Amino acid sequence: MTGIIYLLPSSIPFPLLFSFDPRISRLELPEVPSLPTDKVALDQFPTYEVFHQRKENAAYAYVGPVHAPEADVAFLFAKEQFSRRFPCTGMWVVPTSAIKVTEYGDDQQSVYDRLPLLPADELGTAAATGQESYDIFHLKKRGKAHAHVGQVQAASPEAALQAAKAAFGDQRPVVNVWVIRSADLLRSDDEDRDMWTTTPDKKYREAISYKVQDRIDRFKQEG
Amino acid sequence: MNPTLDLLYRLADDQLILGHRNSEWNGLGPILEEDIAFSSMAQDKLGHSLQLYGLLHELGEAEPDTVAFTRNAPQFHCCQLTELPIGEYDFSLIRHFLFDHAELLRFEALADSSYEPLALVARKVKGELKYHVLHANTWVKRLGTATEEAIERMQAALEFTLPYALSIFETTEAEPEIISSGLFIGEAELQARWEASISKVLAQTALTLPDLRTLTPVAGGRQGQHTEHLQPLLDEMAEVFRLDPTADW
Repeated sequence: MTGIIYLLPSSIPFPLLFSFDPRISRLELPEVPSLPTDKVALDQFPTYEVFHQRKENAAYAYVGPVHAPEADVAFLFAKEQFSRRFPCTGMWVVPTSAIKVTEYGDDQQSVYDRLPLLPADELGTAAATGQESYDIFHLKKRGKAHAHVGQVQAASPEAALQAAKAAFGDQRPVVNVWVIRSADLLRSDDEDRDMWTTTPDKKYREAISYKVQDRIDRFKQEG
Repeated sequence: MNPTLDLLYRLADDQLILGHRNSEWNGLGPILEEDIAFSSMAQDKLGHSLQLYGLLHELGEAEPDTVAFTRNAPQFHCCQLTELPIGEYDFSLIRHFLFDHAELLRFEALADSSYEPLALVARKVKGELKYHVLHANTWVKRLGTATEEAIERMQAALEFTLPYALSIFETTEAEPEIISSGLFIGEAELQARWEASISKVLAQTALTLPDLRTLTPVAGGRQGQHTEHLQPLLDEMAEVFRLDPTADW
């Protein structure tokens, strides 16, 4: 058995008619104390970064990370974490390890101004090996979220940054830039747009819909 | 029973009972994010049941809370699949997979129902169901192609669950009229679509779908015959409501 996922001893044969709810049935603890066992290795999923679109045609913006074993599962978790509490019309996820990050500038400047120039021959050689699409994200202010500004064609992330400077370098300020190979982004399908429209009338999900203060006050006065 | 009421009670009770069952994973899911995902989908199902009980109320039935919390097991029309205890996660995932594929296809078809208020609700909830199916497919594909243990357990859960899943499509006396009046395409047509839909996903895994013709559906739920697990669920679900049925929430 693989540690923490299964709470029951493996000796119980497919314990279907059983609830984990302690009010329904208590965990079945072994009657005989068991011998010490090996400590199970800790495992941790890799992280994925999530971008969401808050309304049609708006730029995708960074919203936060999730842990997941793979991109498909990261997408599910991202939807749960980041699309249920406010409007969302689309979502992208990318492995954290697939993001190239520039240094940070201050709030008045552009980090593109401090970009080291790539030797021309390096750009040239790389170009010969074939171009790929890269997505570029800008951070306009510290404490805000990175937002998508567009795509460039390049042969490496470094070359993509140079291409981004040419395409978007006149924007000010640019505190930080993320470069992501477009193929590494898992994007929600346009066909599945209706997936993002959750049914209304679910105020019971929000703490704010439980207005109890006046009742508490009344209760205190009566007491 | 009037065909519209008959259909609505089956739809609403399925959503309420499975929604409540799945909510029992709250705080116990295999990992935090999955726990949140499963609990959120359980809440979606309660939301769907509320909309459907709302339609029943418009047709003269009692308030949604009264209908949900004051009936006993023999008065429920859910299929037995929905009332089984959550078991281990393999069973809960397979139930989620088999049930939600049927639900998505059901509500896609109901979007064209001749009963316009139901068609309207169906159009609203099918987006959420699409996500529920995406969630189920993702896990079935992943665990159905993972380790030997994972594949064995998913296969065992599939074989255990299928006879109950076939009870989703149990019909009532109202079936001919439900179809002829254009309320719904009917359970047989739905089952055919469902088989095609689950087969497509299972074909991408190491899991094998048994010949459904050789299985005996565990019927009875639609007629009020339930397993011994439904009444304890209802007692617990309605425990607070029954303390003071007239309380203002």
